[in-house]
Amino acid sequence: MPLDRRIVDEFVGVLGAADVLSDPIRTRTYECDGLTGYRVVPELVLLPRTAEAVAGCVKVCARHGVPFVARGAGTGLSGGALPVADGVVIGLNRLNRVLEVDVENRRAVLEPGVTNLEITAAASPFGLYYAPDPSSQQVCTIGGNVAENSGGAHCLKYGFTTNHVLSLEVVLPDGSLVTLGGDSAEQQGPDLRGVFLGSEGTLGITTKITVRLLRTPETMRTLLADFPSVAAGGQVVSDIVSAGIVPAAVEMMDALAIEAAEGATGAGYSLDTPAALVVELDGTAEECDDQFEQVKAICDKHGCTRLHIAGSPEERANIWRGRKAAFAAVGRISPDYIVQDGVVPRTRLSEVLDKIAEMADESGIRVANVFHAGDGNLHPLVLYSEANGEAEQAETLSSRIAELCVEMGGSLSGEHGIGTDKACSMPRMFGEEDLEAFHRVRAAFDPDDICNPGKLFPTPRLCGERPGKYRPHPLEEHGAIERL
Amino acid sequence: MTRAAPTTLRPTTPREVRDAVLDTPGRLAVAGAGTAADWAGRLHDIDARLETTGLTGVIAHNPGDMTVSVHAGTPLRDLATEIGTHQQRVALDAARVGRGATVGGLVATADAGPSALVYGSVRDLVIGTTTVLADGTMVRSGGHVIKNVAGYDMAKLLHGSYGTLGVLVEVVLRLHPVPKATATVAVEGPLQAAAEHTARLVQSPLEPIACEWVSGDPGRLLVRLEGGESTLHLRVARLVELLGDGAHEVDESVWDEHAALTAGGPGPGGDGGDTGGPAVAPDGAVLRIGAAPTRLAPLVAELPATAVTAGLGTGVATVTVPGAAVAETHDAVAAAHGTSALRSRSADLDAPAWGPAPSGLPLLKAIKNRLDPDGRLSPGRFDPWM
Ligand SMILES: Cc1cc2nc3c(=O)[nH]c(=O)nc-3n(C[C@H](O)[C@H](O)[C@H](O)COP(=O)(O)OP(=O)(O)OC[C@H]3O[C@@H](n4cnc5c(N)ncnc54)[C@H](O)[C@@H]3O)c2cc1C
Repeated sequence: MPLDRRIVDEFVGVLGAADVLSDPIRTRTYECDGLTGYRVVPELVLLPRTAEAVAGCVKVCARHGVPFVARGAGTGLSGGALPVADGVVIGLNRLNRVLEVDVENRRAVLEPGVTNLEITAAASPFGLYYAPDPSSQQVCTIGGNVAENSGGAHCLKYGFTTNHVLSLEVVLPDGSLVTLGGDSAEQQGPDLRGVFLGSEGTLGITTKITVRLLRTPETMRTLLADFPSVAAGGQVVSDIVSAGIVPAAVEMMDALAIEAAEGATGAGYSLDTPAALVVELDGTAEECDDQFEQVKAICDKHGCTRLHIAGSPEERANIWRGRKAAFAAVGRISPDYIVQDGVVPRTRLSEVLDKIAEMADESGIRVANVFHAGDGNLHPLVLYSEANGEAEQAETLSSRIAELCVEMGGSLSGEHGIGTDKACSMPRMFGEEDLEAFHRVRAAFDPDDICNPGKLFPTPRLCGERPGKYRPHPLEEHGAIERL
Repeated sequence: MTRAAPTTLRPTTPREVRDAVLDTPGRLAVAGAGTAADWAGRLHDIDARLETTGLTGVIAHNPGDMTVSVHAGTPLRDLATEIGTHQQRVALDAARVGRGATVGGLVATADAGPSALVYGSVRDLVIGTTTVLADGTMVRSGGHVIKNVAGYDMAKLLHGSYGTLGVLVEVVLRLHPVPKATATVAVEGPLQAAAEHTARLVQSPLEPIACEWVSGDPGRLLVRLEGGESTLHLRVARLVELLGDGAHEVDESVWDEHAALTAGGPGPGGDGGDTGGPAVAPDGAVLRIGAAPTRLAPLVAELPATAVTAGLGTGVATVTVPGAAVAETHDAVAAAHGTSALRSRSADLDAPAWGPAPSGLPLLKAIKNRLDPDGRLSPGRFDPWM
């Protein structure tokens, strides 16, 4: 049902006609995010240029009960920015200024449409950087990172978005503008900043973000090591951790993932190894060198068959290129694939991988594994062919993998969020009382349920539907971003 | 109206907490070990005190995963001893840990210590919680894995809630390795000089874990480093060189003095001993303040403070001021765009606990309304805001 003409006029009154898109050819661009199996063309797309204009739009929505969905770059992988039928999309990409880099206080003030990488670009002339590094960082926005509490390869040591955001200016679903958090970590009362972080666009729209910046480490050391089994690689991770070493990143790939990545990049990974580990350490020169020797010894102890140490920044970049290309590269060995994002306690890594292999065998579907080994965040890639009618099997296997992670004491999602994709699995992880309490928090922010409704929580409508298959994000196809 | 003296409830399991909340009519004050009993607004009109001190013990510690789940009434000090045998720790050095503060109490009061510079405050270490709400609803959020974005992060809501939104019954924490070596370098000097040192230090690659000025005559800056056994001395040497004349390595016990000063200065109760109970500053009030790091030193300098510990890298300081100066301290902090909260105060002091209300106050009230519509839990903590 199209929106009432008078409501459209009110949006035009706030933004001007040029910033209100209603032509279906143009609004179609916004029909999905990175989870391309779900699509809804929005009624209107609003493109405000200031926080006040965002608030003005939301006030119109609140007045007429029009649902709205905030959108950054649309790289989300859980259908968080999926439009709502009869609703509007509020695109934040025109609020894209770095407002301030405060070198002395090591922080930056940003509008929500600034991309993750632009923060580090603005900070690096001062020897500073922004730590959370999702592999979509060239494109994804800080507003989207806040909404998803995004991570990256280096969050093992440095934490997630929530650990790096000091304060947020937020337009609440009634159109009022508030600041959550403050100039230091010391806050007055409950940490509403922290509640908003990771709330997947369901509690309001953030219009200004103050993040902490870190000093660029003095030294970085990176190695690539091959092992006779994934279990041996897992043992190395455990031993590194028990030695009291906190690496900047520890990533693992299995044979299938290596085959795909090496085929795509020629980054120098061994094609005949069952498992490869990327370990990166950073810190002061003397500490880093000392720990690096320990890591090498641990690798040897567990039967490392080949150890390649990055001897230059180029070699380091090459190792990472292979790792980061793994996702998109599986397109070379499979026509279709689904990306999973479950988490298990690190000590159960080899157990969960064995089970996944068993489940894959049973269903006759291949699964490649790429994962953040240091924090137990798996990205199993479920490989299938829609043309051969394997879509449903693959979808079932993928959901079973996520739910297996929960059964093993882990989580449905480590970084991609629940959104539309996993809402129906939420009851596997949370009880009725938990979900009911989440609802109450949501209702305190959004009593009329107009802010990104239908996401995160299981709904009968959604959970009765079958999602479509995964398709690569358009930007990914063009090589602008890589999946990690 | 006079009320009967509040009864004390001391449940020993999460289920008993739920039963206590459901079966006890009226208003409940939620309490841990009492080390922060007089922080924030004063409780009023209480019918019963619900103490978590019977709700203790480790539920699961998996050293390989570096996570631990505990009952919320467990003193962090005891937990530290237990997991310390595995060379692991909770990277939280809030001043009252040594006096027996409970894990739940530390979360509810949003406490932190000097090492927040690197490890953050307690909110950055909590990965899961179970909470009993005013109507007996038992809510789990987060889980046992460090990386997890499923569902709202209720732990953040409870962080700094001072017992007003629910009773924490279980807390899951991420652990860090006990460093192989630590060292502290001190340099004497007034606050302003310490701020200048800090400005250079945070731009260096030396990765200080804590960087605190403690008041005295003339006061001194303490900088702590953590690292490897065979390498830390190299970094200590670089640090001494950076800080220049007079910088020297000191014994780690300086941090006990720091904790005592943070708890309200030397004097009765504020001795950093392990007697439990609040450390009341005689004739004064302790306030916790936060501001942008570069604003902190000028702000603190303008306060009539008698004792100060100031995290010049974090922007968080704890100051003791005369009781009569509490209101003006809140004002001065607000003028510097900072935040302030009243901590310990002498028993008869009537002073505002909070400065001007944050812009999110209507939201805070809405949340309170949804979770505790009858205002049963810890009334008074956020007076005069709500
Ligand atoms: C190839 C590829 C690689 C990826 N790698 C990673 C990775 O390594 N780690 C990781 O964590 N994620 C990764 N992602 C997922 C995705 O990039 C992140 O979730 C990112 O944070 C989304 O940002 P966005 O700007 O694209 O947000 P969108 O997709 O536009 O939106 C995401 C959610 O945020 C909400 N939102 C957006 N802006 C705002 C705002 N201003 N206020 C309130 N809510 C808002 C939306 O409503 C939606 O719910 C990857 C995605 C792709 C396609």
